[in-house]
Amino acid sequence: MSGSALTAVAAPSASVETLRLPSRKLDQWICYWSIPFFYTLFGLIFAALGRIMPPPSPTASVPDILEYMQRPGLRVGMALLALSLGLASLSSGVIVVQMKRMEGVSPALAYAYLTALAVAGVPGCLFPGFVFALGGFRPEYAPEIHVMLYDLGFLSFVGSLGCFVVQYVVFAVAIFLDRRTIFPKWLGYLTIWALVTELVAAPIWVTRTGPFAWNGLLSFWQGTAIFVGWEFCLCVCLHRAIKNQPLEELGCEG
Amino acid sequence: MNTRDQNICLWLVPCFGVLFAIGFTIFPGFVPPLSPTLTAEQVADFYRQNVAQVRSSMILLNLIGIGFIPFFMVIVVQMMRMAIPSRAFAYSYLSAAASGGTLFALADLAWLNAVARPERDPQLTLLLNDLAWFSLIAPVGFIIAQNLCLALSIYMDARAKPIFARWVGHFNLVTALLMAPGAFAIVYKTGPLAWDGALSFWLRLGTYALYVAVMFFVVRSAVREQALEDEHAVAMGVAA
Repeated sequence: MSGSALTAVAAPSASVETLRLPSRKLDQWICYWSIPFFYTLFGLIFAALGRIMPPPSPTASVPDILEYMQRPGLRVGMALLALSLGLASLSSGVIVVQMKRMEGVSPALAYAYLTALAVAGVPGCLFPGFVFALGGFRPEYAPEIHVMLYDLGFLSFVGSLGCFVVQYVVFAVAIFLDRRTIFPKWLGYLTIWALVTELVAAPIWVTRTGPFAWNGLLSFWQGTAIFVGWEFCLCVCLHRAIKNQPLEELGCEG
Repeated sequence: MNTRDQNICLWLVPCFGVLFAIGFTIFPGFVPPLSPTLTAEQVADFYRQNVAQVRSSMILLNLIGIGFIPFFMVIVVQMMRMAIPSRAFAYSYLSAAASGGTLFALADLAWLNAVARPERDPQLTLLLNDLAWFSLIAPVGFIIAQNLCLALSIYMDARAKPIFARWVGHFNLVTALLMAPGAFAIVYKTGPLAWDGALSFWLRLGTYALYVAVMFFVVRSAVREQALEDEHAVAMGVAA
């Protein structure tokens, strides 16, 4: 074995010195920029192509539901989702790196964040996507199957609550306990607000009309508005956190 | 550090690989793949006539369905040994691997339920069959994210003797690209992109099998290298 490889083992940080300076946070920046890229795509898929957001009414008539399911944009959108949803993992990756820089917080919260989101992607996003695509794929299904797929799709998409509850709780707790203020405390309070929107969405499982229905003012519109605001603020704070990370901290310990 | 655990995870690959091949061969709907253009009645007939084969293959695949997860975690460990500025890609890889495994588990449940009650309304059997095929073929985004993270890590690895050679990075990108068309199996019922088509079925699953086989040897040599380096480091420590 060559001596140079040994040096790399003995002192990983030494070999990091050899990286070109502009690229020293390149991995984190790639993960970072995947977030606006993914959410732009997400908007295109769910709003423009799929017209899943804003959702149509839970009380739509059977012919309306059949017509809704047969739009080609819905299936194309869901294919793009199947192709790109993995990008969501990249945002978790860089947030975990930043959470692990916190002081007075063990990595348990960071790992919980990572795991909760790894779980969330399927029931909260890809599974409802497939359910919608199934309806579009098979016009020959009996109408009652289309109606069930319509319900299952929207209820899973808007009503997958618990994974995001865990994500928000561990993120907020980590921000509050962190003595190093990697993220500002106000982002913690905003995260609590985002958490509340998940609780407010719970009644979609019970009611089909009014503000708590899956297309309701509180369950859908308020939740979506706060989520978009939260995601935007997270991007701003995350950008600052990566930018302010001292170069000495970089290495294989993240 | 001892690499025995990584070697155990590695050797699960050929073990599970053989079992996968057996399950794949027993299932009567893979060679050739069931057509998405079959009617509900034809699909229901298929499950009624092949109860034993569908059950045995899908129970086997249920047991070993996410058997490559330990292997993917060895890749995470090797990514963490790389000289790159942070572990962002390693964590992303881990997350994508976990999400991807869930989909295969879902496909298996749908197949086993399709065959569970032969007298069921053929429309419902068709629905379960469609869900199974969608979940097997279409969710390529997770393996694409895994390969992308691994490739980028390989390109950024600044070790004098990199953990993986650069061609492994290229290989990961090319295989990600070859599996990508599978996502469109939820749009088309006929042609190369349909779930029984040349791109969505044969190229997608063939590439995955080749990918795992090649990566087995690549990762094995990285783990061997780690064992050698660790021995050396211990020897140096004792000498000092």
